[in-house]
Amino acid sequence: MEDKDLSPEESLQLINSMIGKARTRFTDNSFYYLLWGWLVIAACVLHYWFALEQVIENPSLAWLLMFVGAIVSMIYGARQGKKAKVSHYTDKLYMWLWISIGAAMVIVIINGQFLNFQMVPLMLMLAGVGTFVSGAMMRLKVLQFGAICLWAMSIFAFQLNEIDQLAAMAAGIAVGYLLPGYVMKSNYKKQSGI
Amino acid sequence: MAFKALDPLLHSQLRLAVMSLLISVDRADFVFIKEKTGATAGNLSVQIDKLSTAGYISVTKGFEGKKPKTTCKATDKGIDAFEAYVKNIQAYLKP
Repeated sequence: MEDKDLSPEESLQLINSMIGKARTRFTDNSFYYLLWGWLVIAACVLHYWFALEQVIENPSLAWLLMFVGAIVSMIYGARQGKKAKVSHYTDKLYMWLWISIGAAMVIVIINGQFLNFQMVPLMLMLAGVGTFVSGAMMRLKVLQFGAICLWAMSIFAFQLNEIDQLAAMAAGIAVGYLLPGYVMKSNYKKQSGI
Repeated sequence: MAFKALDPLLHSQLRLAVMSLLISVDRADFVFIKEKTGATAGNLSVQIDKLSTAGYISVTKGFEGKKPKTTCKATDKGIDAFEAYVKNIQAYLKP
């Protein structure tokens, strides 16, 4: 490309063409879905086992695994951000969406006693919101399907006791996070010819 | 109807291409801009300097490992100038 003057028509054509080139078809965010999916399922299984076998006094300590998720996500996100040649507005929106969902989840957790410890259905509901909006942003129907499954599990979990809710959460996360996570990973591999 | 003069800084092929790219994304690095515009590194560097001096883009220089990395981002002033430029172009094209 040279540094020449343009006619008004050429200017508009150039603007359209550059905007088209800047568009991305697919961003691979499968890492976060797979990381959080497997971590939440592991925490559910551990919590269930701790409570059933009375391994430790406070079985909810299994959820300390979420700190691992937060730290790994931050390190991975920072590394990817440094490596990326371009950052799109949707990447930023996606980050702020999940930070907001995370903040809402923390508020639910610290106020668990006022919610009669009905935290699992609320977590599933919030995860559903984040997943549904992410699906709309990335135009990925499988994410929106996953979100609907998370909401269905949230409705179901309200009917269950605290321990059985863990099984509902693990099932919801398997369909709502892991399934879309693996589909996204496979789509990205196909698209980039890996 | 009197036509407004087009911003000379934007009314050049490569600078307009760079601004159009940066308007569409949050930020982009030099290599991305070079790939998308097909410009030579030297020419692109000169045009980026001009846009940066005018305050249309901000340029951050850093490192990715041991490699230098230059990241560009459109500023509010640049976005306003780009919008005004597009409006003026549209006025020229109106029948």
